[in-house]
Amino acid sequence: MRASQAVLLLALAVLVAPRARAQDVPIVIEQGKSKSYRIAVQRFADNSTPQSTERVARFRDALQDALEFSGLFQRIPDGAFLGPLETDSVDDGAPIACPEWSQIGADALLQGELARNPDGFQVAFRVWDTARCRDLMRRRYTQKATADPEEVARRVADDVVEAFLGVRGVSSTEIAFVSDRSGNKEIYVMEADGSAARKATSNRSINNFPDWSPDGQAIAYTSYRQGNKPLIFLSSRGALRPGRLLATDGRSQYRAVFDPIGERLAVVLSNGGSSEIVSVGTDGKNLHRLTQSGAIEVSPSWSPDGRRIAFVSDRTGAPQLYIMDSGGGNAQRLTFNGAYNTNPAWSPDGLWIAYETRVDGQFDIWLIDPEGKVNVPLVTNERSDEAPSWAPNSRHIVFSSTRRGRADLYMIDRDGSNLRRLTGDAGNNTAPSWGPFPR
Amino acid sequence: MTGASDGQYDLRQREFRRFVGWSAGAHIAMVAFAVISPFSGTRIDPSQVIAVDLVSMPASALPSPPAPAPPKAASPPAEKAVPPPPPEPPKPKEIVLPKNPEREPSKPKPKPKEVAPQPEPQPEKDLEDLLADMRKDAGETEPTPAPAAPQETAAAAPTGVGGAATVAVSPEVLAWMRKAKVHVKRAWVVPPGFRREALETHVTVELDASGAVVGEPEITQRSGNPWYDEGVVRGIEKASPLPPPPSAGEWKFVFVPEDAF
Repeated sequence: MRASQAVLLLALAVLVAPRARAQDVPIVIEQGKSKSYRIAVQRFADNSTPQSTERVARFRDALQDALEFSGLFQRIPDGAFLGPLETDSVDDGAPIACPEWSQIGADALLQGELARNPDGFQVAFRVWDTARCRDLMRRRYTQKATADPEEVARRVADDVVEAFLGVRGVSSTEIAFVSDRSGNKEIYVMEADGSAARKATSNRSINNFPDWSPDGQAIAYTSYRQGNKPLIFLSSRGALRPGRLLATDGRSQYRAVFDPIGERLAVVLSNGGSSEIVSVGTDGKNLHRLTQSGAIEVSPSWSPDGRRIAFVSDRTGAPQLYIMDSGGGNAQRLTFNGAYNTNPAWSPDGLWIAYETRVDGQFDIWLIDPEGKVNVPLVTNERSDEAPSWAPNSRHIVFSSTRRGRADLYMIDRDGSNLRRLTGDAGNNTAPSWGPFPR
Repeated sequence: MTGASDGQYDLRQREFRRFVGWSAGAHIAMVAFAVISPFSGTRIDPSQVIAVDLVSMPASALPSPPAPAPPKAASPPAEKAVPPPPPEPPKPKEIVLPKNPEREPSKPKPKPKEVAPQPEPQPEKDLEDLLADMRKDAGETEPTPAPAAPQETAAAAPTGVGGAATVAVSPEVLAWMRKAKVHVKRAWVVPPGFRREALETHVTVELDASGAVVGEPEITQRSGNPWYDEGVVRGIEKASPLPPPPSAGEWKFVFVPEDAF
């Protein structure tokens, strides 16, 4: 009985089974071997008068460095080139011999022209996908005549990253941070790759917590430069007036953070034995209280749409992350794991909040989504990793770590790969704030 | 300056003693909860996943770093303390050393395995191991010089190339599939930004008898990220010519990045 049933079933199965062909079975490719595209960067044609081989060379070096900084590209050395080393033209009628490039292993070819004239620094470039023999991006733009070749080159590199990844590269952005390399804690600004660090303050007191305005033209920071009490100041290279931001009412001003459109700041003020968060216009007026719990409330971070603010409160007895409306109120607790969570940083794409959590007396960096559903470790070194700040493309995080003893700044990709140290020449380097894309 | 607080006062010192105390209690509660919890396997039902094949792994809606949220020192609302953990922690390229092993209570992060009782959600762990084994079986790690052992490749068929165990795939076809897979893998570039994303692209490729790609590969299922899809097509074009197929015509490929879940 059972046997006959089985036979029946089997017969049925054979009849009913889809008559799949071998070709219907997909070949599953689960991971590519390579993480980066190999790119051939031609020497850009120089249409300046007079020409400058030095400028063209500096431009090309910076371009290749910036492409590699993205982690997406690897340059092909000149010696390997089969095709022309210099761009002839980026015009339509200028086709390329794709096999000359794919044969040397180039996934991509970057061609271009530049011209530095009194009316500006013009660049035109064209990026090719050599395997498909198609141009992926062609752009032409004019920077001011005084722009450095390096600055223009980084802009081009960030665009080329976008052609392949869909998000802009960040080599042309800057990072503000605190360093005691001069003997005092001053605010510094450096390029995203860690180069060209320069002082933004020089007042020989204590300066901390820099935060960029969204247009990249000002930095708010906390300083003890007046009356040995922390107060908020602005350093500016744009329209905002530098100097004191908020009138003193006798209270300490611990930290200020710009909203995403640069109209208001969330500011942490002392409040008796604790602290509260207020918002205030960038002119220092229209102060509005956001938290009134009587607990210690610190570390505000705006959502990219400006509607919510993540912050830290110890209202339950231990510091935890909360999210409230940016007008105040409706505070919801976000973190329930760990007894000490602080320093939230909301990603510009809104998907994640990076924060510090204390483990064994030191700090790790975790990511949590704003709904609190996914909570994952990002940096878990045995030494302290602190003060995460997002790159404007939401792909990288800069943070401060004492893993080498002194505090240095490191960057890491959102998926935990590509850890790189950005500082290390001198002093302790802390409290990074990653600036916006240049306008 | 290692302090992370905004002000001068130090929250950390103040809270530390209290933290150590109830963290110990909370840990015990967590372990108990993890053992008896009915939720610990809710996210992926292992039987489901094993029944299907690697191709149809559920793609998470979440855009990024998959990892379990190892239960940390829990706070009262227990349902929050056990979030649905995705299967695999991201591995920052640093070594996580156990420190102060004697200080049990505050030990919530994922550490090397010998650091004893970790209330990890077991089912997911098993599933991950199983998947790793399946992948290994499928010849993921080394470019097998394929045609040498047709019998063995035939045996690996169900897990290796998509799992439809009912399809009769000859050893010759299987051997070619493996070669094609290794070949395409070499050509395909997966940028770091895509490696841990839940992306999956299905492509039909027409090959001539020599293995050359004829015309444009056709995307039959998009991943949702056009740049990823573009990269897949780019990889196929770059891989052309593939090893000569058993027969000219259309062949199907599925592309998923490294740690997709």
